[in-house]
Amino acid sequence: MTTTTTITEPAVGLRVLVGGVGYRFLRDGSVGGWVTDELMERAGGDIEVEDLSYHPVGLHQNLEDRAPYDRIVLVASMARGRPPGTITSYRWDGVLPPVEKIQDRVSEAVTGVIELDNTLIVCAAFGSLPADVRVVEVEPEDEGWGEGFSDTVTAVLPKVLETVWSFTRP
Amino acid sequence: MCFKNLPIQFDEQGNASLIDGAPNPWAYETRELMPLEDPAGQDKLKKLMARNGHIRRVDFDPVTRVAGALAFHTVVDLENRKVLETDSMATLFRGYEVILKGRDPRDAIYISSRACGVCGGVHSVTSALALEMAFGVAPPPLGIVARNLLSSLEYLYDHPLHLFLLAGPDYSEPAVRATNPELWSRAESARCANTAVHGFGTMAELMTAMTPLTGKLYAEALHMTRVAREAYVLIGGKYPHPQTIVPGGLSASIDLSDLNEIGLRIGKFFDYGQKVVGIWDDLCDFFYEANPQYREVGRRPKNMIETGQWDDPYAYDASYENVDDWGRKRWAPPGVIVDGELVTTSMTQLNMGLEEFVEHSFYEDWTKPNGNGNGNGNGNHGNSRFPTDALGNPLSPYHPWNKETIPKAQGTNWKEKYSWSTAPRWDRMAMETGPYSRLWACAKSENYGHSRFIDPTGDSLRLDIPRAALPAAELEWHVPEDWGAFERNRGRAYSIAYTAMIAYDNLLIALDMVRNGETKVSTPYEVPKDFRVGAGFWGAGRGFLTHHIVMDEGVIENYQILTPSTWMASPKDPWGNPGPYEEAVLDTPLLENFEKPEDFKGIDVLRAIRSFDPCMPCTTHIHTDDRVITREVVTCACGADDDDHDHH
Repeated sequence: MTTTTTITEPAVGLRVLVGGVGYRFLRDGSVGGWVTDELMERAGGDIEVEDLSYHPVGLHQNLEDRAPYDRIVLVASMARGRPPGTITSYRWDGVLPPVEKIQDRVSEAVTGVIELDNTLIVCAAFGSLPADVRVVEVEPEDEGWGEGFSDTVTAVLPKVLETVWSFTRP
Repeated sequence: MCFKNLPIQFDEQGNASLIDGAPNPWAYETRELMPLEDPAGQDKLKKLMARNGHIRRVDFDPVTRVAGALAFHTVVDLENRKVLETDSMATLFRGYEVILKGRDPRDAIYISSRACGVCGGVHSVTSALALEMAFGVAPPPLGIVARNLLSSLEYLYDHPLHLFLLAGPDYSEPAVRATNPELWSRAESARCANTAVHGFGTMAELMTAMTPLTGKLYAEALHMTRVAREAYVLIGGKYPHPQTIVPGGLSASIDLSDLNEIGLRIGKFFDYGQKVVGIWDDLCDFFYEANPQYREVGRRPKNMIETGQWDDPYAYDASYENVDDWGRKRWAPPGVIVDGELVTTSMTQLNMGLEEFVEHSFYEDWTKPNGNGNGNGNGNHGNSRFPTDALGNPLSPYHPWNKETIPKAQGTNWKEKYSWSTAPRWDRMAMETGPYSRLWACAKSENYGHSRFIDPTGDSLRLDIPRAALPAAELEWHVPEDWGAFERNRGRAYSIAYTAMIAYDNLLIALDMVRNGETKVSTPYEVPKDFRVGAGFWGAGRGFLTHHIVMDEGVIENYQILTPSTWMASPKDPWGNPGPYEEAVLDTPLLENFEKPEDFKGIDVLRAIRSFDPCMPCTTHIHTDDRVITREVVTCACGADDDDHDHH
């Protein structure tokens, strides 16, 4: 599903954490960090914006220490075979893979792999995600080393920002 | 005389030179490999497999619960329960050596740190040490102590992670029930010897607590990794890639508040260290009593190499001239262990004995004309750039200072090339390394200078653990008679207590320094523009770590990183000798309980491999067509497209 929402005013009363996930300097693979940087100045009140590009067990432990969020919004570049530049936004269904696969994801997490699916699965498995988790994915075109984005992804970045921000509304 | 195989002799004063009269002293003859899956051997293997349903190819691709990409190829005889052939395959090219060429040397601290997402900080420190040797600058005492603290904290993160998240699940209730149900029955009635320390009454209770995701010990280890990380970032800024490590010390100041915060967290490892030792002592004893053959799982020769770490703040001067002196004054002194005995504690001898071979790796031999060398390969090297070190000690053309990284990707062939790992050797022998080699070298070292909490006896290491929630205790790690997977894990367990005591010792020293106004943590320096060489000799949680640098005109000409997993994931060397993983699996008895070949899970092979704590960022895998162990399939280790083999 591709959203075209253009709501820009944050809501009041919904405690939301918006976070990018991914690696820096990996061209289109770095959308998550870029969105975090761009939205940082919009944060305030009940809406927090934070770079969540660190290992998911650490994120789980940090979330455990905080007052619960009503919603967490994650944004990342994910290569899933869609046309480059496709924006997919959804409410995560919270369905976890078999225990062995979760265990593999935890092993990857503690050995340094930072990835959206790992973040969702590991944090959910340990119980630190709220029931309401929204995800915005962007299909990358170029995940090579370097700064900046491909033309295709550059063209959709404004829409990515607004899609993410729309999820801060009830 | 520490070398048996290299062409190096020592005079009465201990000065090294090449053996007189040898026309081409470093030359060697290669031995052709004859793998079962060689085109000639392929027939042999197929005939064997056709005749004997119990001979099977089993590929672990990737090996899960290790960091990075490793594949492991085996041929097993399930009737006689033997491993017939092994090949360890690092499936990713690391490439930092190429990335660093031509850069400002200070970049190396931050770029090389990215070589590992588990223990990047040790690369930063090792890089800083290499730069300090090249620049001629050393940190003030508190800067050295702070680095010691950082590395200790990194190991306190790393060891619990391995013992309970990576290797530990192989000893948990689900794994034991699935692979050796008779052991589970025995565990249900087996009383633990160390209940008073860890709280578990039976071995079954302990194994249940090791269950991934839900087990108490699994959860506790996750928590303890957090405690260590919290302490680390107080002076490292962040983890695993610290921001405050610079040549000449640290870029962050340290005050009493920082030290107190760190001290609170180190104190948590006093009890935890005791507890983990109790757990792994009980696990080892239980398996050994159930079946003494468990002593043979992962067995290989007691050959180890240890660079040592944790510098004496009043001895370290960063110079190569004095490296033997300041190296021996470390909390963990350097050492090379051959057949269980310490053959040298000299860092220059350790350095002199290093070589990396690429006969079975995806690289060009840099000494050949089509590499960057001017010789014929195989040690017929013409003129090496560094025939000696700065002290006149002979160096092989395959020494890291002479090495060039020339990647050459090509198809996998067990007879020719099959790994992105090189084959490091010391005195032309395969060496393993880890926290246990640190304990071993320390236990056997003489004139040990840091005995406030640590007492080497020659065949053991006594650790005085202060009172916390548990009473004070003396732990004693004994140099093992049998060397294999269980002892590697036991050694790593003792290393938590050992590391905690070194951290605590350094904390007390830091507190004294701050109290006395000795608060300087860095020494100013300038990047030299002339020709320089340097080396960082340090360690990772997994053992040996060196960075060798050559620089000129203010930029890096050559940078070589030699990691513990490069040593241990090594493919076969020019003489056909296996690397440590290969060697250990080859000698592993298959004790798993299975009725039919298709039920074989390879638990003993996996215990052997994981006991080394592989951290590739390059891995080993086992998989069957319908049972891929991890999703991180990099490439199939088997190098064959046919389906007559099992993938796990």
